[in-house]
Amino acid sequence: MKSLFARAALATTTAVMLFAGVAINAEARIAGTSGTVVGTTQTFNLVTSADYITTPDGGTVTIWGYGEVGKPMQYPGPTLKVRAGYTVVINLTNGLPNLPGTSAPMPVSMIFPGQTGVAATGGSAGVLTQESSGPANVVTYTFVAGQPGTYMYNSGTRPGLQVEMGLVGALIVYPATENPNAPTKAYDLADSAFDQEYMFLMTEMDPKIHQLVEFGLINQVNNTVSHATLWFLNGRNGPDTMFPDFAPWLNHQPYSALPRMHPGEKLLMRVIGGGREQHPFHTHGNNYTVIARDGRPLKSSASTTIDLGYSDYTLDSTPGTTQDAIFTWTGVNLGWDMFGHVPGDGSSCTPDAEGLHSVATDANYKEPCADHTKPLPVVMPENASLAFGGFWRGSPFIGSLGSLPPGEGGLNLNGGVVFIWHSHTEKELANNDLYPGGILTMLIIEPHGVLIP
Amino acid sequence: MNSIKTKSSSAALLLLLLGASGGAGAVPFTQCPGDDFIKLADGTLVPGNDAVPDQYLPNPISNLPDPTLPNPKFRPEVKCMHLSAGDGFVNMADGYPQYMFGFSDLSGTDTTKAMVNGLLGAEFPAPTIVLEQGQQFYLDLTNVGMANRPDLSDPHTVHFHGFPQAMDTFDGVPDNSVSITMGSSLPYFYNVVEPGTYMYHCHVEATEHMQMGMLGNLYVHAAQDKSVAGAPVCAGSTYNHVAGQRYAYNDCDGTTRYDVEVPLQLASFDSRFHDASMNVQPLPFAAMKDNYPMINGRGYPDTVNTGILPAPVDADGLLTNAHAERPLGKPSQKINALVTASVGQRVLLRLSNLSVTNHYTVRVLGLPMQVIGRGAREARGPSGTNLYYQTSHVSMAPGEGVDVIVDTAGKTPGTYYLYTTNLNFLSNNTEDFGGMMTEIVLNP
Repeated sequence: MKSLFARAALATTTAVMLFAGVAINAEARIAGTSGTVVGTTQTFNLVTSADYITTPDGGTVTIWGYGEVGKPMQYPGPTLKVRAGYTVVINLTNGLPNLPGTSAPMPVSMIFPGQTGVAATGGSAGVLTQESSGPANVVTYTFVAGQPGTYMYNSGTRPGLQVEMGLVGALIVYPATENPNAPTKAYDLADSAFDQEYMFLMTEMDPKIHQLVEFGLINQVNNTVSHATLWFLNGRNGPDTMFPDFAPWLNHQPYSALPRMHPGEKLLMRVIGGGREQHPFHTHGNNYTVIARDGRPLKSSASTTIDLGYSDYTLDSTPGTTQDAIFTWTGVNLGWDMFGHVPGDGSSCTPDAEGLHSVATDANYKEPCADHTKPLPVVMPENASLAFGGFWRGSPFIGSLGSLPPGEGGLNLNGGVVFIWHSHTEKELANNDLYPGGILTMLIIEPHGVLIP
Repeated sequence: MNSIKTKSSSAALLLLLLGASGGAGAVPFTQCPGDDFIKLADGTLVPGNDAVPDQYLPNPISNLPDPTLPNPKFRPEVKCMHLSAGDGFVNMADGYPQYMFGFSDLSGTDTTKAMVNGLLGAEFPAPTIVLEQGQQFYLDLTNVGMANRPDLSDPHTVHFHGFPQAMDTFDGVPDNSVSITMGSSLPYFYNVVEPGTYMYHCHVEATEHMQMGMLGNLYVHAAQDKSVAGAPVCAGSTYNHVAGQRYAYNDCDGTTRYDVEVPLQLASFDSRFHDASMNVQPLPFAAMKDNYPMINGRGYPDTVNTGILPAPVDADGLLTNAHAERPLGKPSQKINALVTASVGQRVLLRLSNLSVTNHYTVRVLGLPMQVIGRGAREARGPSGTNLYYQTSHVSMAPGEGVDVIVDTAGKTPGTYYLYTTNLNFLSNNTEDFGGMMTEIVLNP
């Protein structure tokens, strides 16, 4: 366990340093591609190919993935970021290796659940849609991006095998009024506004199936007896989930899953069931409010607000569906001062309408004023009695770093408040037989003043 | 092979080790404001700590609590609890002995004897934690070590699952906070402001410690229970409080009122995993497949046995959690899952699923269910829209909690069954009748 987290530690430290070191990073928070934009048409050129991904238990797994032409194939496929009302054109070709004993690969395709009027041209006819049968066989899918929301795409060809192999990705439709690279709300509704935006796409793999494919034994794959032992968040197994986007040593797994926010901000969670099993995603720290399912806000037809949204602490993601939720955290009603202020230390707390400190330039911006200068009600044990997590600040207070024994802590350089977010089907917190791993990441609530790109 | 003698000697060894390691914080201590005395069996107070606040100081002659001598440190909103974390045994409904990790409740006992009182004391499920909205909850956790696994030096934590606006300091997750090592105690503090159905568990090496049984019920009663009889339950409400009436949430309209509440926690064990742990073998994470489905730590028909199950024994009938200071062992399954009500009563089922492997759906055959809350919140939209719904089944992912009202008005007295519709889990391993089932006994 120690070594695995140590590895993540290094990476997260690197990530934090990368984030902190760059003054202004215009990159959007959800990594992805808007394709080539001409007028109101967004064009994506995708190709499928086979390659290997690495898993934190030291293994490699053969996968099939979508990739943008000229870039590495990836798992999950490129997150397609489009604007509502725009015409989306996707040209797909098939770069998979030939099936054993034949001169052609297994055909591939793309389907877009939740979109209507998808036109598929070229290629050859498959069951669900047109398919590409080789590198020169172009299928073009065209549709007008419908209502804003979180969607997915995956192969419509033998999906039981091909999604398992990796042919799945996310499609995000932003409101027509929003810039997909600097979005502020998920829907055309004021109460879908957010400050931070993250994707949580959950999948799983049975390595035995991938071995059969690698060895040319596709005809021996039996999906009905598959038994997943690898669990993915945005295409990575924990703790790789905490490495930054496009970490070069995860060449085919470009997407991070390390949410960060400041106290009082709204964090939009775009949760996608990309595989074939249910995964209950538990948010430590606070409840979230589910605001949409399958790209449709939870509201009654006459309402202009998300009146049917609901609060919960474990979000059960089911295969092929998406849910959007808004998470926020202030630490209100803790009963003690989370900054460790003491009377006479010069700090102040001037409550706004919500009772939170209103001076944005202060380090304790958004502090719940009702608890200002209230002491910690208990005495923390001496270090010799404790075991420490890599993200532990060494202090009970936000933004302060306490002394820790050599080799302890070190992953939380800004003294943020850290919560684990993970699948509560806890057997999914392992990579094969190694704990911890799987669908696991950390939410870092950074003190105000710490830049989050 | 699992004789008392073996157990006692390893326990003694552990005690010796812990005693010898002395130095750093090896004497467990609790942090319970107003707890200055230990209350003995005869009611007298002696100086010390037992994790129970003392409202009154002792009478200088009788040493009994004296109502004329209020303890100035006593605060009525303070609730304390002292849990131990360690290992122990339970017997499955088919008699199979199962090694486990777990908690036991040491509240009310001399905290300086926490090690010996908690050793081999694991209970399944963990002691139920019942809180009142408005309380300040001081929880101390003492790690008493694993008597049967002296090779393990695992720390432990308590994770208050679902606690709103939490601080990582008291969230009990070892990776981003601290956890407590053997022989020491860790305090947790929770300002309890949101009623509802939560759960708790250890979060250290979560897959292992939770599969091994460190799971328990936890819920918070609503402040609306304390409304004034005959007066509206909240400002502007037309619903007047009836003396003694209780509510799942601060609903303002009485729609979550109930007469009987029962927490029912679903969980399941994989006996191969437990046996591997007992026998110091590599743990089968990837192959984990539960074969003992349970409600409140028991498989049917143990679920409806209202008694405390006997102290656990091994296959030879020898006590498994006895040690030198406790030769008769100790019961480890104290909580049942029987629901008893009278016709006309409203029953609040506080359902939760803490399995580490499976989603479960439960059905009540013959009685209507109304879902009135989930995730420790009343089922209302952001602007108050009522989202209650009628159903005959509730599905729960691991980590989900759902509040259900069963209204028995006009129903026929008798025995009704609550059971999983994942029908392969209606068994205690190979004993093909049992598992995740209990009864609702409706009296006239």
